[in-house]
Amino acid sequence: MNELLVTAAIGIAFGWTLERAGLGDPPKLSGQFYLRDFTVLKVMMSALVTAMLGAFWLGRLGLVDTGRFYVPETFLLPQLVGGLVFGLGFVLSGLCPGTSCVALASGRGEGGATVLGLLAGMATVGLAFPSLEGFYGATPMGAMTLPHLTGLSYGAVVAVVTVSCIGLLAAIGQWEARR
Amino acid sequence: MSATRRMGLGALALGLLAPFVGEPRRAVSGALDFDAIARAIDDGADHVSARQLASWIRARKPGLRVLDVRDAKAFAEDAIPTAENLTIDRLVGAVFKPGETVVLYSQEGAHAGQAWVLLKALGVADAVFVPGGLADWWEEVMSPVLPADMPVAERETAADLSRYFGGFPQVGLVVSGGAPAPAPTPYRRRGC
Repeated sequence: MNELLVTAAIGIAFGWTLERAGLGDPPKLSGQFYLRDFTVLKVMMSALVTAMLGAFWLGRLGLVDTGRFYVPETFLLPQLVGGLVFGLGFVLSGLCPGTSCVALASGRGEGGATVLGLLAGMATVGLAFPSLEGFYGATPMGAMTLPHLTGLSYGAVVAVVTVSCIGLLAAIGQWEARR
Repeated sequence: MSATRRMGLGALALGLLAPFVGEPRRAVSGALDFDAIARAIDDGADHVSARQLASWIRARKPGLRVLDVRDAKAFAEDAIPTAENLTIDRLVGAVFKPGETVVLYSQEGAHAGQAWVLLKALGVADAVFVPGGLADWWEEVMSPVLPADMPVAERETAADLSRYFGGFPQVGLVVSGGAPAPAPTPYRRRGC
């Protein structure tokens, strides 16, 4: 029960932040794909750096046990195909699963339509699962992490990712100021 | 300087410092509690019989996770229902939720026993293995020979469990001389 309350609180905070960042607005989201609006990229990059630095430093200070983090397993081919399908839906509807709930909560019709489509898609895949199962489990690569893959230390990966993200954010900032 | 710029520079500093402070502490990994392992082996808390596993699967025991540590080819040929295939090398990177009961099995048990020690070293508290592996599953669940002198209720429960998984339970007949009927050839394969 307690776990559910914590989950609900985190969910509400997440939705509120997404809405505040302007991600409940489909034209803004699809603007990313046409390189008109970089809000999505900026939100993603800053969230990624914040979460990564938080996980690394809290782990280093012994406040959280990074060994207990859940690392989703990589299934290369199905995830590539899934990503393409996801991206297509994203640019068509201007919303992703999280932001569609946010859009619905703020009373947008597009949000409701996307949530319905999402549920219908999940039901379809669930029903067709027996014939998809072979593909679903294809090319398993286990729980992959960048330190594992590159052979670099965890700290070095953190530095490389931070510098690339902050560099990209600064470049976007300058480009927007010039426009 | 704007707040955004200050936060960016702060993040940059934390990121650039990261390579020089070492790895985050992992509280559980690599610590072997020898006494606890020895105790578990002594009192049998390290393993579970194939029949017990079958009743757990049928009862949909909450948090039950059955892991087949054999290779993908062997897994595709024959496996315990609800099992997932996780070879020993992938076991090390796997993540186990608290409250999960992990049951390991292999062809005949040796590899599962080794995997069990590995999981203990990784700090997985609730893990057991099937001593006779898949061979036990076939002997005890799929084609069990139930002694004729077994109490009827107990025999029916075991037979029922076997049928649930599509097995063929047999009752060992007591022939007039008192000698039980010959048991069917047990299912054993080489290797583990």
